[in-house]
Amino acid sequence: MEDVLRAPPAPPPLLLARVAAGERAAMRECLARYGGLVWSLARRFEPVDAEDAVQEIFVDLWKSAGRFDGGIASEAVFIAMIARRRLIDRRRSRDRRPVTEQIADEAEHAAAGTGPDTCAEAAQAARALAKLRPEQQQVLVLATRDGMSHGEIAEETGMPLGTVKAHARRGLMSIRAALLGVQEERS
Amino acid sequence: MKSQVLTPRTEELLVERALRPLSDAETVELGALGAADDDSLDLAAAALAVATLTTEAMPADLLERLAALPLATAPTAPTAPADTAPTAPADIVPIAVARAKAADRKRGFSAAWLAAAAGVAVAIGAGVYARNASTTVSATAEPAPSVARAELLAAGGDARTLTWSATTDAAATGASGDVVWSAARQRGYMRFVGLAANDPKAWQYQLWIFDRTRDQAYPIDGGVFDVSSTGEVVVAISAKLHVDDATLFAVTVERPGGVVVSKRERIVVTAKPS
Repeated sequence: MEDVLRAPPAPPPLLLARVAAGERAAMRECLARYGGLVWSLARRFEPVDAEDAVQEIFVDLWKSAGRFDGGIASEAVFIAMIARRRLIDRRRSRDRRPVTEQIADEAEHAAAGTGPDTCAEAAQAARALAKLRPEQQQVLVLATRDGMSHGEIAEETGMPLGTVKAHARRGLMSIRAALLGVQEERS
Repeated sequence: MKSQVLTPRTEELLVERALRPLSDAETVELGALGAADDDSLDLAAAALAVATLTTEAMPADLLERLAALPLATAPTAPTAPADTAPTAPADIVPIAVARAKAADRKRGFSAAWLAAAAGVAVAIGAGVYARNASTTVSATAEPAPSVARAELLAAGGDARTLTWSATTDAAATGASGDVVWSAARQRGYMRFVGLAANDPKAWQYQLWIFDRTRDQAYPIDGGVFDVSSTGEVVVAISAKLHVDDATLFAVTVERPGGVVVSKRERIVVTAKPS
């Protein structure tokens, strides 16, 4: 064992690198590991079309897996970013269409979740979030986790629209700074 | 995530892009500002979403459909540019995991790590498989973990009790206890007596589980935890991956939140089957 430890092999390829290399087993593993994350995000952003959204997200992910760089983000956060971008894009497309149906109320799910410590970055983000003012926290969570627009947040919270925008901007910049701070401190 | 200074307008557009669809004009403007490729706000928003989301399982039929999707012919994963490899010691770098891993590969496993293990072959290398999370649990003398541990032992089966061996680390002076693990149930508990209490804001303990079926260089993250008392404390193990055949348990001291790449500087206790 010690010999192995003194001359360790290179770390195994990250899951997305294996997906990019065309490993179907890695794709299934990726679905098993991150499917719940993507599904739960889609349910919050698009309660009505969540299944379609999830399919689009994973098609995006299979195409973009090769662009994943572990030096920039963890897989969970990278995948969440791909998912959120796709969901936001879908909102843009939807906004350009005539509204023909009411978006269903978001369902709450009591199933056990990944919680706030799904990866080290998320833990860092959670700590940074906890340091913000409560109203900033509220705005940020509604915007990033639930996909609510500034207008929806203003309506939900009773805050003026300008205040919502200010909280979102300052709050998100604080989270960015916290994540960058960690990175810079170590590098 | 790049640490570039943002102009107010760039910052505004990047924040907006992370939260809502930009208009075509705004997209063009962001490109003209040279910031279209700046993902830092998108990643911050994604990290927050991951941090605050309670996940639910995807419907099985959807999972099956997705598994049947054709894999795109994706380009090969990019190689990290040479200048991203740090010269500083690798540490837990939540945002820059690959940098640290690159440094680890260059440096190899340190003699200090092996020495700290007091003769036990322990190496917590780049925690590739363990990077999904370090659930922080509070280790106090609360009855729940103690009771659960007792129940696990009482249930018989494959639950094994392994005695901790303390290293010479200051936090482990006089420490004793054991770890109970059941592979069948994928459950386990650590019991400590005399392990130094930690300040969670300064440092935390982290468990690593070596699995015979996996590369020994990449132990499984068993969870980050705190010890609030030097009395007897019991901590539930939170393995992030399935443990097939545990061959070694090792507890290290890490920075708050735990690590994905350990500096291997402070190992406090280890336990392995005799």
